[in-house]
Parts: sequence; C-alpha cells; structure tokens
Amino acid sequence: MIHVDKLTKYYGDYAAVRDVSFDVPAGKIVGFLGPNGAGKSTTMRVLTGYLTATSGKATIAGLDVFWDSVEVRRRIGYMAENCPLYKEMRVNEYLKFRAGLKGVYGRLRRQRIDFVLERCWLNDVRRQLIGTLSKGYRQRVGLADALLASPPVLILDEPTSGLDPTQIRSSRELIRELGQEHTILLSTHILSEVEMTCDSAIIINRGRVVAADSLENLARRAGEKESLIAVFDHAIDPDLVLDLPGCDRVISEQVAVGTRLRFPSPDVQTLAPRLATLAGEKGWGLRELRPERPTLEDLFVEITEQE
Amino acid sequence: MRSTMTLLRREFGAYFLSPIGYVALAIFLAVTGYLFSRTLVQLTATGPLGIEYPMRQMLGLGDLTEIEGVIQFLLFWMVFLIIPPLLTMRLIAEEQSSGTLEVLLTAPLRDWQIVLSKFLACFGFYVVLWLPTLFYLPVLLDLDWKTWQVGIDPWPVAASYLGVLSAGAMFLALGLFISSLVRSQIVAALITLFLSLIFVVGGVWRADLDSGSLLGKVLSYITVPLHFERNFSRGIVDTRQIVFYLSATLLWLFLTVRSLESRRWR
Repeated sequence: MIHVDKLTKYYGDYAAVRDVSFDVPAGKIVGFLGPNGAGKSTTMRVLTGYLTATSGKATIAGLDVFWDSVEVRRRIGYMAENCPLYKEMRVNEYLKFRAGLKGVYGRLRRQRIDFVLERCWLNDVRRQLIGTLSKGYRQRVGLADALLASPPVLILDEPTSGLDPTQIRSSRELIRELGQEHTILLSTHILSEVEMTCDSAIIINRGRVVAADSLENLARRAGEKESLIAVFDHAIDPDLVLDLPGCDRVISEQVAVGTRLRFPSPDVQTLAPRLATLAGEKGWGLRELRPERPTLEDLFVEITEQE
Repeated sequence: MRSTMTLLRREFGAYFLSPIGYVALAIFLAVTGYLFSRTLVQLTATGPLGIEYPMRQMLGLGDLTEIEGVIQFLLFWMVFLIIPPLLTMRLIAEEQSSGTLEVLLTAPLRDWQIVLSKFLACFGFYVVLWLPTLFYLPVLLDLDWKTWQVGIDPWPVAASYLGVLSAGAMFLALGLFISSLVRSQIVAALITLFLSLIFVVGGVWRADLDSGSLLGKVLSYITVPLHFERNFSRGIVDTRQIVFYLSATLLWLFLTVRSLESRRWR
C-alpha cells in the first residue's frame, strides 16, 4: 500500500532521512519506531505531501506522493504530531469544516461526522470549543479528523504521546480496531506500543532504517542472543564453572543474596543440568537458574545505540 | 471548488471569532463616522462654505489648506493603511506558528485554492467593513426619497467605491504574501504596514518633488491617495490605476502561492 524507495530529505546540509526504503502492505498496522529526531516525522511529512523529498520515491496506493500529491492526500488520513487544531472552533464545527475540505458533503458528511464522533468517544464534547479540551480529547479530535473521509491509509504521528495511561490503552485498542479496515502507519518512540498494536515494525535511527520486519521475527532476532543466569547463596569458584562443557565465558557479580553468574551465548541444554549438578556437589546453594531472552526493547536499545 | 468554498467560509467566519475583526470594524466605523459628520456640517453650511464633491471629504481629501482637512486626510489614510495588515496578519502566519498549516497543507487542496480562499475571505471582510458606509449614501448623493432622484452627481461615489475596493485588494494581497513569509503575526503586520506605506505616502511625502521627473512619474503611478485625489473622487476611472491595482494583486497572490509551495521544499 505504501511503498518507499530510497527516500532522502535534507534540511540544508543536515540529512534528516537518508536512503529510507520500506513497504507497508495493505491491511497491516506498521509501527514506525525510533528515538526522537530519528526522522519519523520527516518521512511521514513526505508521505503526506507536506514536505518534498530531496531524492527518492514514494507511492501510496500506486500514486506518487510528489506527482499526484492531491490524489494521494485524498487517500490518506493524517494526524500530525502534537495534533494542531483551530482552538476557536467547536468540535463538530471543526469536523464539518475538515469534511468539506476533504470533499465530503451533505448527507454523507453528517453520517461520517456522527460516525467518527461515536468512534472516537467525542459525543459528549461535540459542542465544546477545541481550545478548552484536554490533550486526550484533542488527540481524539485529530484522529476523528483523520478518519472523516474513510481513507484507506492512516498515517498517525505519535498518536498516543502526551496521554495518560488509560487514554493510551483505549487509543491503542481503537487503533487495533481501525487496523481491520485501514492500512496504518503509526510512529512512536515507545516500544511497548508497537508490541501491543502493530503487526510489524520499522526501526529507524538517525535517518536510516536499521531494522524492518514482523514483530515475531524481530523478537526472534532479539531472542537469539540468549544467556543463562544462575544465582547462588554462597561465594563460588568461577574456574570450576568455566571447565564445564558448553561454557566459554562467564560474568560473575556479587548481589545481595550471594553471587550471580551470567553466561552469554551458552549452550543451555547441556550447561544448565551440569551447572545444577556441580552446585549440588559443592553445596553452593543454587537459588535460581533461568535462561534470559533479550526482549524487543533490548534489541531496540542495542540497535539505536550501535550507530 | 466546493472545498475552496468550505475553506473560504471558515476563514471568513474566523474574523467573527477573533477580536481582530471587531477591532478593525470599530476603528473603521469611528473614523468614517467622524468624516461623515464633518461632511454633513459642510453639506448643510450656508454662504460661501460647502463642498462640491462630498465623497472627497469622506476620503479625507477635503480642503487640505485647512488644519482640519489635514487631520481628516491623516486619519482616513492612516486607517486605510492599518486595516489591511490587521486583516491579513493572521491568515498564514498564525497557522504557521500554531502548526495548523501542516494539517491544512495535507488536506486534498491545491496551494492556489488555499491562497484564493484566504484572499477572498479577507477581501470579503474588507467589503463588510465598507458596508455600513452605504448608509451615508442617501446623504452624500442628496437622494430624494420620493422620486429616487439624486441631487449630486453619483459617479464620484461609484468611482470612489471602485477605487477603494480595488486598492484594498492590492493591500490585502500584499499582506497575505507577507503573512506567508513569517511566523509571527506582529512581524507580518509591521512589514505589511511598512510596505503599504510606500503606496500611500510615496508621491505625497515631498511637496517639492518634480512631478515631471522619472521618480515623480513612478511615485505618482503607485501612490494611492493621489489616484483618489485626481481621479476616483472626481468620478474618473483611469484604467492605468485599475490595471495597476489588479496586476499588483495578482502578483502578490502569485508570490503567496509560490511562497507556500516553497515551504514544502525547505
């Protein structure tokens, strides 16, 4: 649905986005993940026609975002970062105005406005001035606006930033539901959000795509670097441990309850039982023995810090 | 086209939602009301006093040899100068500073549609400013209520309104262009004010300017009060001036579209 090919955007001499390529298949929710200033907003702005790329190409529903900008914008529901709105307008007024801009009129307009008000839980504030709304409600107005023309593609720039935990939860649910009818590209710097709402993720750092895959694959990739953790009551002799088969490296550290050993990249199947036997023989008092898999978060931190 | 209308309606309505519109309306009515009351005094004066073209005094072009005439000139043209920046300063600059420009520019509208609706909205409000002055017309024209005959030549009035609207369009378009360049409304207003000043005082700031010299010719070509003094308020419509106003309007609007477009490249 969204196809981005070698997109580059310079602000003056500074490259905000460099050679970014990715695909968002139809009907998927894709998380655009990266630390602040990674180039997420810039990429989204290029897709929505607000900015023009320095080089590269992007198409949405087969239409080039530069050459067919207006047609592309017709097919996109965009929620900009921080959700800027006209503060002096009322919610229903604003939605009516936005529907008009998007070419939705008459009976259909009324239907769509009622629908999005319902969908985004805005019915009780429909007559309120946008300037008096709380941040959470404003975000919902922005989302309602994005949904107005029932576009096939939704591009949401940090849809949950600045919300409280309950609002974040309900927004995520809403996004998941919307994902059944729309193709969604959403940006965030919060990893758990991607884990909860998205089918796949594109991780971007300093203007480059560093990983793009389905969440399972990313998690698997993260989980490959498994390590084994063992905690003992007493001080132990690391040399004995190093002699065990399947162990090539061990990191030992003192913790409150005794000693903790970490085996990076071990052969868990052979090492774990032998370690337990050894601990029993020596009377080290084994408290804990578990494999540890890095989470997606660890991968994210690792990827973004590598550069 | 309908989306252009939608935007036009919002932009026009926004004047009634913000204090700026009412402030402009109040200042404008106070000044034209004052000028009207002075015109009324002249019209009802007996003896050698009185005026031939009451519309001239409404535009502050009464007897400039008197101190009162000079005050009226300054008042009217100062207000005429200040109103367009007041109306245009927020149009694009405010959207830039609040970020709503991003939402507007990502709606399925072409840039020229956005510029056109914003321009027509402020022009519409400018027309609204002038509407109450229509109440003065029966007096300025010496209208006979029974026969609907006018006692004073109506063409100076018609030409003056034409001049006021077309010159206003030029100043508004200039203001819109400046508003598209900056983020701050105040800065937009001040720059517009300064640039408009060239078109208001250009040919009148020095009485000893040789009107036959190249500079004199150029300045008299662009100085709006001179056009009113020589032509519109006497009922003459000079196409040179109309062409100047309209082409300047189109130029500013064209530059606004370009400036909006260039935003996408930065």
